Amino acid sequence: MPASDDATTAPATIAADRAAALEIFEKTELPTWRRGGFWTTTLRDLKFDELGPREYPAVSSRDELPQVVRDALGDEQFAGLIVQRGASVIYSEVADDLPAGVIACTLEQAMADHGELTTKYYAKRIGHGEGKFTAANAALWSGGAFFYVPANTEVEKPFQVVNVIDEPGVAQYGRTLAIVDTSGKGIFREYNLAPDIEGQALHSGATEIFVEPNGWAKVKTFQDWGSGEVYDISTKRVAIARDAHARWFPIHLGGHLTKQTLDIVTADRGADMRHNGLYFTQGDELLDLFTTDLHESGDTTGDTVWKGAATGKSKASYEGLIEIREGCQNSHTYLQTHTLMLSKDAKVDAIPSLIVKTDDVSASHGGTVGEVDEHQVFYMRTRGISRQDAIRILVEGFFEPVIEQFEDEALETLVRERIQGKLAEASDDIASYAATK
Amino acid sequence: MADLEIINLHVRTEEREILHGVSLQVNKGETHALMGPNGSGKSTLANVLMGNDTYEVTEGQIIFNGEDITEEDPEKRSQAGLFLAFQYPAVVPGVSVANFLRLAINAHRDEPINVKEFRDRLKENMDLLKVPREFTSRYLNDGFSGGEKKRAEILQMAMLDPQIAVLDETDSGLDIDALRVVSEGVNALRERGMGSLIITHYQRILDYIKPDFVHILLEGRIVEEGGPELVAKLEEHGYDWIREEVASRAG
Repeated sequence: MPASDDATTAPATIAADRAAALEIFEKTELPTWRRGGFWTTTLRDLKFDELGPREYPAVSSRDELPQVVRDALGDEQFAGLIVQRGASVIYSEVADDLPAGVIACTLEQAMADHGELTTKYYAKRIGHGEGKFTAANAALWSGGAFFYVPANTEVEKPFQVVNVIDEPGVAQYGRTLAIVDTSGKGIFREYNLAPDIEGQALHSGATEIFVEPNGWAKVKTFQDWGSGEVYDISTKRVAIARDAHARWFPIHLGGHLTKQTLDIVTADRGADMRHNGLYFTQGDELLDLFTTDLHESGDTTGDTVWKGAATGKSKASYEGLIEIREGCQNSHTYLQTHTLMLSKDAKVDAIPSLIVKTDDVSASHGGTVGEVDEHQVFYMRTRGISRQDAIRILVEGFFEPVIEQFEDEALETLVRERIQGKLAEASDDIASYAATK
Repeated sequence: MADLEIINLHVRTEEREILHGVSLQVNKGETHALMGPNGSGKSTLANVLMGNDTYEVTEGQIIFNGEDITEEDPEKRSQAGLFLAFQYPAVVPGVSVANFLRLAINAHRDEPINVKEFRDRLKENMDLLKVPREFTSRYLNDGFSGGEKKRAEILQMAMLDPQIAVLDETDSGLDIDALRVVSEGVNALRERGMGSLIITHYQRILDYIKPDFVHILLEGRIVEEGGPELVAKLEEHGYDWIREEVASRAG
């Protein structure tokens, strides 16, 4: 752990912020999200008052981590690893070969040791004023993860935070803050994991990532809350400064009810972003994602591609907004969303939209909702491939162009295996649906 | 009995009957041309041979190597040694040509093919068909030109090494160079003992692949059969000659 960079500790401003957030949290009702009368995400079944933060003792090796975490991490080496179970960071690792000035520790620790640095970034993109759950997070977070790549520094190994919930009754308020400073380069991964628990739990996270001028960052957020009743109501935001570049892969592979706001902001000239997400819903899951490609400056570029598939009785909604503010000439961005329906009882909704307040920009969107095509299935069968394998190969192939861009063997394997598992579970349903087409 | 025996085949869609009793025999090592104008039922026959269930066989049989495969699944027909090169192949996004070939080959065997054997076979066939190296890492048929799609079909055929292959208008949309390469590939497989049924409504491909037998399909019936001399006659007189011939026979 690097020595403190300044003498200040957890500043009084953050304590004040927590107090203000708590007040908002306590007086705000649980929200319901409605859109156009045909989509509703409601927390009616969430027994919110029965859930609370839960402390856990620290462990001293990866072998003692919950199984679901060990399975996902394997023996991969990280620049820094933070594992938060419930309200407690139970395990952390920092590589011993990191360049000078790199920081990987809990957010609590960072506030104590690096007050100036944390104050500069903390809550600058996700404040506590965006509703009940951003207030809850700001008021109640504990542990948390903090990663910092100093200027002109490249860190090759990924920084990894894992939030795990492995018991019902838990409300987890995770908070991640990561920064790539000027001309630095870093890779951040956040895994949100649960085994198949019996009963309810809540994860309400806030993830802020800053890429400073001429910096480069790759961000991978992976969610698989298993088949239990885990609610995930979170906000994640990536802000990209002048001439910096960020590429973000949000991956959603499980959760009883997920309501997330995922924004990527090109904040200054020359900023460039790529946003490539994927989701797969099954059973009676509900996934409600709202992403914004926000251009706060001209001369910025963006490209958003989302791919999703829905099986069972699941519901998946993807709303993707391109927002270009006033005076942001010469911004160029494109958003596309492709969805695969794999069951007659699934419901998918994809809504690309535009708010453009500047001339001389190019911003457009497109989307498709498809089904597994019988012509493709027949074609593959004439090559000796069984109907069930053909469908599996087609769905895997649908996601493959996104997956192979992770350039991350461990994560690619993890995602392919999870998708294969989900396809196997839903194979009868998918095959019977395809046969009706 | 011939290796592939089509006996009095009647085929219909929901709307109407398309084939009105087609009989045809193809043996391994033989090259047959099936010619006919657009709409005569050529592609329907190709699809029915592979078990496309958008068509219903109402009468007749398809016998392959002595087994009745009329009701068999497409994958079983493929595994038994039948192949169809599609006129309009499907796009398989996210699956590279090489991966698809491996999947298809493995579907034809109990144990997966080993890496070296696969690589050697792929290289040999890519050389044969003058397929550029980068071709195999592209997603199958995704963004392929018409000519590339046809070449990918023939590459699959060469890799799967079928006993009998049906080539459904493989020549349409090919320029003369591509046609020559594809034809050379088919001729090489013929030397390995493959039988083929080459479906076309042009004569051009038959300049490169010399058929042993020629069948002419008109309005769902085979109306004329013979040797290569039929191709020359068609070239000279066109399909109108056949129509008149059929009409006068009926009259």
